[in-house]
Amino acid sequence: MLNVPESIDGGLLAPDRSLRALLVKWLVALLIPVVVFTFLWSGEALENNVLLAIFSPQNSILSDVPSVVQAGIFCAVFYATVIALVGYLVAADNGRRGRYGTIELWADMIAYTVAPILLISWTNDLVIGLALSVIVISIYLFVRKRVRDVLHYSPPAPLTDIQVFDEEQRGFLIRKARIGSLWFAAIFAIISLIADIIFLLLGSLSTILLIWAAIRTLVLPIAGYFLGWLGGIVAARQTLREGTNGTTKNGTSLSGKVSKRQQLEGLSTTRAREEARNLVPNDQPLQNRGTLRFCIVIIAAFVLFYPALDPVFFAFGTNGRLVGYDDLGYYVILALGLNIVVGFAGLLDLGYVAFFVLGTYTWALVGSDQFTVITGIVTNPQIWPWLFWPMLIIGAIIAALWGVLLGAPTLRLRGDYLAIVTLGFGEIIPLFFQNLDKYTKGTSGISGIYHPLTPCASSLPSIPWLRFLSWLPCIDWSSYNPVPYYYLILAIIVLCIFANLRLRDSRLGRAWIAIREDEIAASSSGINLVKAKLFAFAAGAFFAGIAGAYHAAKLGTVASSDFNTTDSFVYLAMVVIGGLGSIPGVLLGAVIVYSLNQLILAQLDSIATNPGSFLYGFKQLFPSFNFTDIRNLLFGLLLIAIMLFRPEGLIPSARRRRELHQHAEEAAEVGALDEPPGAPGFEEEIRVE
Amino acid sequence: MVYGIIELINFAHGDIFMMGTLVTLTIMNWFGIVAENPPQSLTWDLVAKLIITAIGSFLVCAILGVIIERVAYRPLRNAPRLAPLISAIGVSLVLQDTGKLWKGNTDIPFPSLPFGTFQVGAVSISSITVFMLLIALILMVGLHLLVTRTRLGRAMRAVAQDREAAALMGVNVNRIISITFFIGAGLAGAAGFIYSLQFPNTNFSIGYDLGLVAFTCAVLGGIGNIVGAMVGGLIIGIVRSLVSEIPGTVLPHGGDAWVSAVVYGVLILILVFRPSGLLGQQTPEKV
Repeated sequence: MLNVPESIDGGLLAPDRSLRALLVKWLVALLIPVVVFTFLWSGEALENNVLLAIFSPQNSILSDVPSVVQAGIFCAVFYATVIALVGYLVAADNGRRGRYGTIELWADMIAYTVAPILLISWTNDLVIGLALSVIVISIYLFVRKRVRDVLHYSPPAPLTDIQVFDEEQRGFLIRKARIGSLWFAAIFAIISLIADIIFLLLGSLSTILLIWAAIRTLVLPIAGYFLGWLGGIVAARQTLREGTNGTTKNGTSLSGKVSKRQQLEGLSTTRAREEARNLVPNDQPLQNRGTLRFCIVIIAAFVLFYPALDPVFFAFGTNGRLVGYDDLGYYVILALGLNIVVGFAGLLDLGYVAFFVLGTYTWALVGSDQFTVITGIVTNPQIWPWLFWPMLIIGAIIAALWGVLLGAPTLRLRGDYLAIVTLGFGEIIPLFFQNLDKYTKGTSGISGIYHPLTPCASSLPSIPWLRFLSWLPCIDWSSYNPVPYYYLILAIIVLCIFANLRLRDSRLGRAWIAIREDEIAASSSGINLVKAKLFAFAAGAFFAGIAGAYHAAKLGTVASSDFNTTDSFVYLAMVVIGGLGSIPGVLLGAVIVYSLNQLILAQLDSIATNPGSFLYGFKQLFPSFNFTDIRNLLFGLLLIAIMLFRPEGLIPSARRRRELHQHAEEAAEVGALDEPPGAPGFEEEIRVE
Repeated sequence: MVYGIIELINFAHGDIFMMGTLVTLTIMNWFGIVAENPPQSLTWDLVAKLIITAIGSFLVCAILGVIIERVAYRPLRNAPRLAPLISAIGVSLVLQDTGKLWKGNTDIPFPSLPFGTFQVGAVSISSITVFMLLIALILMVGLHLLVTRTRLGRAMRAVAQDREAAALMGVNVNRIISITFFIGAGLAGAAGFIYSLQFPNTNFSIGYDLGLVAFTCAVLGGIGNIVGAMVGGLIIGIVRSLVSEIPGTVLPHGGDAWVSAVVYGVLILILVFRPSGLLGQQTPEKV
């Protein structure tokens, strides 16, 4: 039971014993990574560069105003989120796991956050650092399991402490959060101050930064107090509350909303356990939904401001890296699209590259001189590139129509017959574009494809009524400047994720999933198989079409030799490795497969020639050895290894995870809870395992 | 055959065949049969060496197949359906690069062996062609007998139909699947040997294409139906050679460039009208 101390206000600075243990636990757990990020990697450099850019621009890496603003916002968002997160965690932890739990948490935090930060800063490369940290984390998980076995320790079953919170107890949670954030901010401010004083003594700190250090030391604790309030509110919202009408007896409350508690009662054991994991207080608050939201804020800020942050984090070569990430972007879209066909509807498509090719050539043929060559219509290169924006959609629609056309003959096919036919389409369509070189220039390729245009003073055609747009800043869309494409693909990805989520939860999406699970049962339940399957093909192809048009416009050249049938397998590997039907999984799968294949394995040779790298010694031992020769070998081995390690994908969709667990649980009772949460019998029931 | 039992498109099958051609080449070189200095006459000595080569190729590939099954497929047997597919793609990539590391990434010539030709009317037929047909026929009949007449074959069919029920009846499922892979991969190795007699050269990438063609044949005929696979192979062979004769005046770049498009087109057309292949049984849908 959570006991509310009498003198909570007096306890703000001198917390009582149980709260002190919690504070120590979470402050240490989060201070270590934040301090490592700030002082060993680039956090402080980032902060200093922003300040320097404001006060003495010549000393800063950040040269232009937008990137200073972006870096500044990122700094603020990052630290604010972390401080609020501490408050949330302190409030959300019920402190039930004791000493082992604390030590385990610290070890977890070192493995999951400190190790990646150190590895990234050591390798000075985001992707390779993360890849190495995946290895480190796997080793850690293995060791942890061993240590647990040796100590005969097993973490206590989750959820024994479900209770309904009243207003007063929620207020106490918020106060707990405030205390947590305040302490965290204060200690962090002091650590930063000490670090700054050391730098000052070493003589590497300019006076401007000293003033900032003083301001920061004062501002941080105050900010901590208010951010803790925020974290506390997030925590309090996740507590189990009574029905708003004050009774739990009748099913609905006055507002018509079913209380959380009643929802839980109606769910099966598995689902109830999943839901209860997100309740507050909890014994593993690091793994619940509230923490996830804070992490998403940080990740979103990082992704959004990445182009500005990159020079501070990794020094030279920003453009080269961004080009790689731009390409990663369209792979993400392809994976999301294929996920609809394979993951949602369960139709194995081995020829997905066909739709990508269609999208690519749609813009390549319309948005270049080739259009004039084929149709004889002379186009104005001042105006024609504007067509990119409508063509992005039109190309996608064309691809979707082809999706329907190619999907139609396969409707009666099942399983692997379907696979081989789609594989055939993946072979036929690129072949058409290759052989009809009268129109497509085949393997030699169409070059000089127009890049997109955005309105600004110099790009607008001289039409008077368009002049009002001329205040917009000019964006350099040439191939040498990857930043606009980064934001373009980011926007497209966000739209695609949104569309994917809405599709999944729509009537159509549920129909797809029903077809995937059992076609006959689905059709018996009144689902129009033809319509649903064709829509799945069309939706999948639509996304591939967008990715294709983007690819053509970004690269500026398209040749038929860029596309292989085997590309389809790579897309499929992304979807399967990530987790079929799971949108975060597919995102992760696309990032991992692309990074492995294009950003890591392709660069091993150049890494090995760099004396500071970990492969240098290897290269010295075998000078004639070339990593390019074994690139596919390593890629294949990694594919096999990932599949053996996680056959259901890295982040399986909740539905699939439930199915897998259901097998194990079938012996146990699956059904509605007999006892309401909070009643004495509930704990026993929830611990069926 | 492997496919019929574990219901997995074994993308690595073609690459095992490719390894078969490389193994054949290596063993021939051990015997001193090299491409630069091909033997001039067909002696018993040479025939004996060739037979040993064929057996060697069969064994090496068979063992390779068993190892692949053990490492990459068996742990995934109860996993979601697509997981072994991805690991099969992985195996295929690994085998291709192994082949490339082993023999380089250029075409490697086979030694041309002195086989005579003989005349039937106006047509001259190389004895090797007849020999190949003979071997293929023997293997097919043998395989058919193995699957339909022996205890092992019955166990295989049982595993293919219902793995759990077969296990309940006392069939050692793991062993049967291993044996299936042994025979399947071994046959791919033997095919690699035959290929070496007929074709001038090989390289690390032939496996993937031929594997796909073979799979297309199997699908065209109806999966799991050996006669169907033969008919499918015949049809695809004829279509391929007919299409490649189309001159460049009819189609841009001539028929050669369009072969795979037409082959898949034919496949799609046939599957539209017969969704389980030409000779495949229309299995009633399970509810």
